[in-house]
Amino acid sequence: MNFDDISQLREHHPAWRLLRATSAPLIIAFLGDYFVEKNHGATSASTLVSELDDTLYALNAQTPDMFPRDPAAYLDEWADPQRSWLRKFYPIDSDEAHYDATPALEKAVRFVDELQQRSFVGTESRLHTLIELLRQIVHGSESDPEVRIAELEKRRDQIDAEIAEIRESGISLLDDSGVRDRYQLFSSTARELLSDFREVEENFRRLDRRAREKITSWEGGKGELLADLVESRSDISSSDQGRSFDAFYDFLLSGDRQRELAELVTAVQGMEAIEADRRLRFVHHDWADAAERTQQTVRNLSEQLRRFLEDQTWVEHRRVLDLVRSTEQIALRVRNDPPADGVGLVLDTPGLPIALAFERPFYDARPEPQVDSELEEVTIAESDYEALLAQRFVDSARLLENIRAIVPPRQTAELVDILQLYPVEQGVAEILGYLALSDDEVSIELHRDEETTIDYVDTAGIARRAKLPRVTVTRA
Amino acid sequence: MTDSSGDAAAIPRHISAEDRPVSLTIIRLMKGVLYRESNEDEWRTLEREFAAVQDHFSRIGVQVIFDDTNGYAFLKSLPEEEGSDPLPRLVQRRALSYHLSLLLLLLRKRLAEFEAGGEEGRLVLEREQIIEMLRVFLKESSNEVRVIQQVDQTIAQATKLGFLQDLSSKQRADARAWEVKRILKAYVDAEVMGEFAEQLAEYARVGAGDSAADGASDSAAGADATPTPEVDSE
Repeated sequence: MNFDDISQLREHHPAWRLLRATSAPLIIAFLGDYFVEKNHGATSASTLVSELDDTLYALNAQTPDMFPRDPAAYLDEWADPQRSWLRKFYPIDSDEAHYDATPALEKAVRFVDELQQRSFVGTESRLHTLIELLRQIVHGSESDPEVRIAELEKRRDQIDAEIAEIRESGISLLDDSGVRDRYQLFSSTARELLSDFREVEENFRRLDRRAREKITSWEGGKGELLADLVESRSDISSSDQGRSFDAFYDFLLSGDRQRELAELVTAVQGMEAIEADRRLRFVHHDWADAAERTQQTVRNLSEQLRRFLEDQTWVEHRRVLDLVRSTEQIALRVRNDPPADGVGLVLDTPGLPIALAFERPFYDARPEPQVDSELEEVTIAESDYEALLAQRFVDSARLLENIRAIVPPRQTAELVDILQLYPVEQGVAEILGYLALSDDEVSIELHRDEETTIDYVDTAGIARRAKLPRVTVTRA
Repeated sequence: MTDSSGDAAAIPRHISAEDRPVSLTIIRLMKGVLYRESNEDEWRTLEREFAAVQDHFSRIGVQVIFDDTNGYAFLKSLPEEEGSDPLPRLVQRRALSYHLSLLLLLLRKRLAEFEAGGEEGRLVLEREQIIEMLRVFLKESSNEVRVIQQVDQTIAQATKLGFLQDLSSKQRADARAWEVKRILKAYVDAEVMGEFAEQLAEYARVGAGDSAADGASDSAAGADATPTPEVDSE
């Protein structure tokens, strides 16, 4: 990588551009959590919008107007091809746009994640892994049976020696730091594997695109085309990526493996030496989910490619594009003087409509609307103002005066007692007036479980009795 | 379909339960394009009873095109056989306006690119995208609103023909979007496009602007004049 390559990446690579964006904390926090941490696949726009809405609401509550825009507008922006942190597409079986994370987003999230310091960096376990890998490569590609057998015998001797040692001097355990070292490697590789699936999918898409390019520019017959696709590994199933993924998928999906993995993971998570990462508890399920999604993509792609190959239109694909191009050129030339109708496509119209004369509804004779623009004079009716005038105003200042006169500061009195000394003058409205009195000086309390009765004479001079919960008045 | 009284003896009044699926499929086809996704029952019937449905239509010179790959089926005039007296045409042909033709052509191109690009799912275009796509070919006007109105009108016409499908109800109000239906490939094929290209080239050659173009358009429209009376549902 030289200077130019790097500045090119800095300008154009979506992951790097994401890291440089001012809204990167929001994007990585939200999308990282939703797609990477929670391992969600493609999600409908409405679901994602409401998730983002919740997040924005919480953020805006902390700092008002930090993110003032509509959540859908943010998503659209992030899915813009210029940015491509999200992939927006319309699946076959839905009328709604869907979003999925792109590998670039995964990369940025992982990078940020790795910035956080690790307590220690395990080196021993990785060395073991590397040696094991080398062994697999060398012995896996050894074709001489003698050499192979010699190697297996050597391994058997080692195992025998180990057994003998245990018999003699007991088991030697992995020490705590050895366990932690291995767990760290396991945890980082497990998470990495999970986040790699999106890139695997992306690779499959790229392979598919290349295959289509080849098909549309193919000159020969169909048989040769198919042969070429398989040979040149532009076909998904014959590519390195395809084989590796297939092998992985078969391995993971076998029942024995699933059980073994589940047992091992549970055992490891329970060890004392390990500060267990709870995300890893069901990591094998997450793998299976992600792999299933990738598998689904592969299935869709192969299905589409098969249709594309079967479809006769790819044969005329190039002719169609040529025709469009030449027509476009002429259309541009005549753009300021477009032809009148008469120059245009002549198409069959879909369907064979039957329109029977008698099926039509009869003429519907609607009464003609009468428009009368002369308004009749409105006679102003005598209104009854009685109800309006009968309203009484209860002066709360007077009620407060009453209370002050009876209740000393910081004391409590019964409302009934107050009314004994200052009888009700304005009926029930006055009683309610007392209840509504609550300010710095006076507080009214209702005791709902007890009941009192208040006798009073209403404004018309009739004796009445009001039943209400016991009320106490306290002065501050 | 309505019950008529009197001499109805010869006309079956009831469709038996076993014939019903075929009848429904025939009616569906007569109403327009039959899609696998949206008319699963009729699609399955057509798969099973293709011969029966085809028999029904072949008497009146119409063939059923059943495209399993793309998931649509539609009616088309039977190709004329040499030496035989052709039946009057039942499937209507229609000369489209220049703008609508341009739009369909551009959509056809997008569809071809979309398929060749191996993109997932369906091709959906937003209003802005369609406006941008078509605007380049429209007469420059200081009246922006008029241009956009014209595009909207053209989109509505393409939708009415069934080549676009409005998905706006599922979108935000300010982002209208349409799916470009694959059936467009079947109707706007290289042959039809070729004729249009020739007409347009002729128009450009004769000298755009003069009414000289009338001659070209006459011959084109005349050749395919529909023998059946146009029944406009509007």
